[in-house]
Amino acid sequence: MYAKPMKVVRNREIAKDTYELILSGELVQHLHEAGTFLHVRVPEENFVLRRPLSLAAVNHELGTCTIIYKRVGDGTERITSARPNDRLDVLGPLGGSAFPVSLPKNADRILLVGGGVGIPPIYFAARQLTERGIPVSIIAGYADKESVFYEKAFYELPHSDVTIVTDDGSHGEKGTVIDIVKKQPAADWLFACGPRGMLRALKAEVPDETNCYVSLEEHMGCGIGACYACICESSDRRSYYKVCQDGPVFLAKEVYL
Amino acid sequence: MNRERLAIELPGLSMKNPIMPASGCFGFGREYAKLYDLSCLGAIAIKGTTGDMRLGNLTPRVAESPSGMLNAIGLQNPGAEAVRDEELLFLNEYDVPVLANVSGSTPEEYLHVINTLKASKNVGAFELNISCPNVKTGGIQFGTDPEQAARLTQLAKEVSDKPVYVKLSPNVTDVVAIAKAVEAAGADGLSMINTLVGMRFDWKTKQPILANERGGLSGPAIKPVALRMIYDVRQVSDLPIIGMGGISNAKDVMEFLIAGANAVAVGTANFTDPFACPTIINELETWMDKMGVDHVTELMANG
Repeated sequence: MYAKPMKVVRNREIAKDTYELILSGELVQHLHEAGTFLHVRVPEENFVLRRPLSLAAVNHELGTCTIIYKRVGDGTERITSARPNDRLDVLGPLGGSAFPVSLPKNADRILLVGGGVGIPPIYFAARQLTERGIPVSIIAGYADKESVFYEKAFYELPHSDVTIVTDDGSHGEKGTVIDIVKKQPAADWLFACGPRGMLRALKAEVPDETNCYVSLEEHMGCGIGACYACICESSDRRSYYKVCQDGPVFLAKEVYL
Repeated sequence: MNRERLAIELPGLSMKNPIMPASGCFGFGREYAKLYDLSCLGAIAIKGTTGDMRLGNLTPRVAESPSGMLNAIGLQNPGAEAVRDEELLFLNEYDVPVLANVSGSTPEEYLHVINTLKASKNVGAFELNISCPNVKTGGIQFGTDPEQAARLTQLAKEVSDKPVYVKLSPNVTDVVAIAKAVEAAGADGLSMINTLVGMRFDWKTKQPILANERGGLSGPAIKPVALRMIYDVRQVSDLPIIGMGGISNAKDVMEFLIAGANAVAVGTANFTDPFACPTIINELETWMDKMGVDHVTELMANG
């Protein structure tokens, strides 16, 4: 983990309450894994907790990384006001476990499933896999048409099959990502990130043979494993994992969702 | 630099400087040890330790509020034996005394924790946590009644061969009465203050944000309350006081020393900036240079 100020390159609303934040700085060279996150300090003194924001892309040549975040409360509201050339206090990369993008083989069927603001790490994983020439199927679910982002970016990925789905059917297919997963052949690998209910339903749906990995979201304190705020129960419910340190990516069968 | 000028001696704790991380905000040091050398700290207050392993509360366990945060972790810890055999051994690699925070539901549990940890040579002193607001039994109930607080202090003193500090709750009408009671019962020092019980609600769902509903407020928001309570207790007691409550920079440290603290603990600031403790230690010395202060004790009200 490094503590480095990063410079805002761009910070703009790309869908309803959804922002794309591009940052540059030395820290970028240490960012490699889909599922890891940055712990961003809200640029105002009376916020004591950082905001864990997951990476959507890293461009080592340009020295930039991309975060997509949702305006959900006062802290993220303040982050929306960051302007180009502003500096943000950032810790990263955080997270002890990322999507294992190096494990799938070329012939494996890989399904990537993202819901809402859980889509960014799925996009990152999709890029990493398709850059290596590995075909992927992507299912991206949103609440409605106004919430859709990165549709074009997904379609531009090589070797990929993309399904966009909205809860109200106002764009793409109507329904949930689970409805689409059910229609598709079973996967060897499934990487997912999204609301807890979506992950729970996915876990129930996928066959045992599928290597199903989920990236969890949780309210965090320190982000480094010291405060025990962001825990997740193990599947036997007898112990806890720390989402920030042991995750945020877990094998679905290891955790109680 | 002559670091002796920052050094202070408290019962059981020979501190290189008056700064320690506060219990519950630093785990058992492992995570911060990856970021800096823990030997730079004055002491380390470890996470509240109970007799058996505890899993703690459901999530969400934290919620932010202006200049502060609520937490309701619920004393998650691996239990006294594991703390002794793993965590204290790990910390023994560093040249820093440990203030072992002792928690429990019953007096027997507190004493079991003390008996389990007391032979660990890096434990310099115990901190009786009679003020945790986030567990159903024990904790704060011992800290809000002077008689119960005194009784537990006395029992702890009987089994402990090391100094016992009592961590006081601010959730009382008269903190001075509790301080006097535990002093009379033999406490060697006081830690003050623990968190203030609070709540937050999600206006969209109309539900409490914390799964535990209530949590403990910490951070700069509670600093004036901590300063006032330390000041009040200092008027009636000569016990060493470890002051805490929203300390995030060296000026805050100086304020606490003026109010009556002998040393301080840094809590929530570790979350805002994981390097908060070493940064504050360095800042404090820089301020002493600027102010022409030879020794940190001169920063105290009567210094």
